[in-house]
Amino acid sequence: MLSEPTVDYAGIPLPEVEVFSHVLLSAETTEKVLNALDPIERIRQINMTGESVPRELNSGPAKGLPNNHSERKVIKVGGREVELRFQVGAFYIELDVENEEMMNAIVEKIRTACEATLPRGFDLTVGRYSKYRKTLSDYK
Amino acid sequence: MTAYKRQFYPGASSPAKNRRKVMDPKVKLKKLRDVSMDDVVRIMGHRNPGEDYKSIHPPIEEGKEPNCPIRKLVEPIEGAKKGDRIRYIQFTDSVYFAPISPYQRAWMYLSRYRGIDTGTLSGRQIIEVRERDLEKLAKEMIDNETFDPALTGIRGATVHGHACRLDENGLMFDAWQRYIWDKNKKEVVYVKDQVAVPLDRKISVGKPASMADLKKRTTIFRADGVDMRDDKEVTAYGLRIHKLRTFGGYQPFNVKDV
Repeated sequence: MLSEPTVDYAGIPLPEVEVFSHVLLSAETTEKVLNALDPIERIRQINMTGESVPRELNSGPAKGLPNNHSERKVIKVGGREVELRFQVGAFYIELDVENEEMMNAIVEKIRTACEATLPRGFDLTVGRYSKYRKTLSDYK
Repeated sequence: MTAYKRQFYPGASSPAKNRRKVMDPKVKLKKLRDVSMDDVVRIMGHRNPGEDYKSIHPPIEEGKEPNCPIRKLVEPIEGAKKGDRIRYIQFTDSVYFAPISPYQRAWMYLSRYRGIDTGTLSGRQIIEVRERDLEKLAKEMIDNETFDPALTGIRGATVHGHACRLDENGLMFDAWQRYIWDKNKKEVVYVKDQVAVPLDRKISVGKPASMADLKKRTTIFRADGVDMRDDKEVTAYGLRIHKLRTFGGYQPFNVKDV
């Protein structure tokens, strides 16, 4: 995950939902999951992690040739194009919620969306997994 | 005095038995598939099939060897006789119940073959041999039961993936995607050689084994498979070596009552 927070500080550390898939996902499944999460309200941002897939071969005798990895491609999420640079393994969903009740309701919606799109299983936990505001090392 | 009978590995659990099996050169490993020699040569990518072997020194039979008692004593392997280059093949073994893991590969190679140099890393195992001997060895290793199309990778570089989650088809992650899943045939197909140079045509290495079968065949102890601590003899053997090393350092023979 990037060192610097990807969005501005909300003024308060907001909760984050970690959806950790039991298998590495294809681009197609990643697209399905994101599109299922897209209509859920009060999701502030979604970050993804996984195994890095280079665009070009980065060493060896075939260095510079295109990698042609089937899972490295552009997917469409809610009408927007997103370039995948990873074979995705986990989603970190930040929620813009005001209280626990509201959070629980959204977490349940996320769980339902994931159950429909991740048949191979996942673990869902609520916590705070990434940086939510800049720290000293971000001011270089 | 009776002759020393070679022992391989302690324990009565299935990974322990499998370890003994792969290390014992008298046991012939089961052949599960037949990838042609030309295809093995293509996947390794050191020479084109049919091409002559390049040499690094004149054949030994030309008699230019120095007068050395060791050279007279040791029968050279075929590739050394002909002066072949030394080439390699490297396998990556997934932690998810691959049929064998790198450390046992080293034991197996050293127990079964002559004239090899092998190196162990956490997820991969390189083996270096004279070229024509390597090709024979590589074919055996791809064809036999220590290879699984989904969980064993032939990777010369960028080997990362042995400890990653498997993908949706049950294949080990590969950033260079040297092999792909053929949906129609339900087989694993190589599309790039071991250093990811694209192949002229696809090479099938067959169907992956089921997880239930792999759990029986593996040499890997795992908490969610056979736990090493459940095999008393293996645990005792590990502890014994640990104690001898801790108390004895380089003089383990001086440690009593272990």
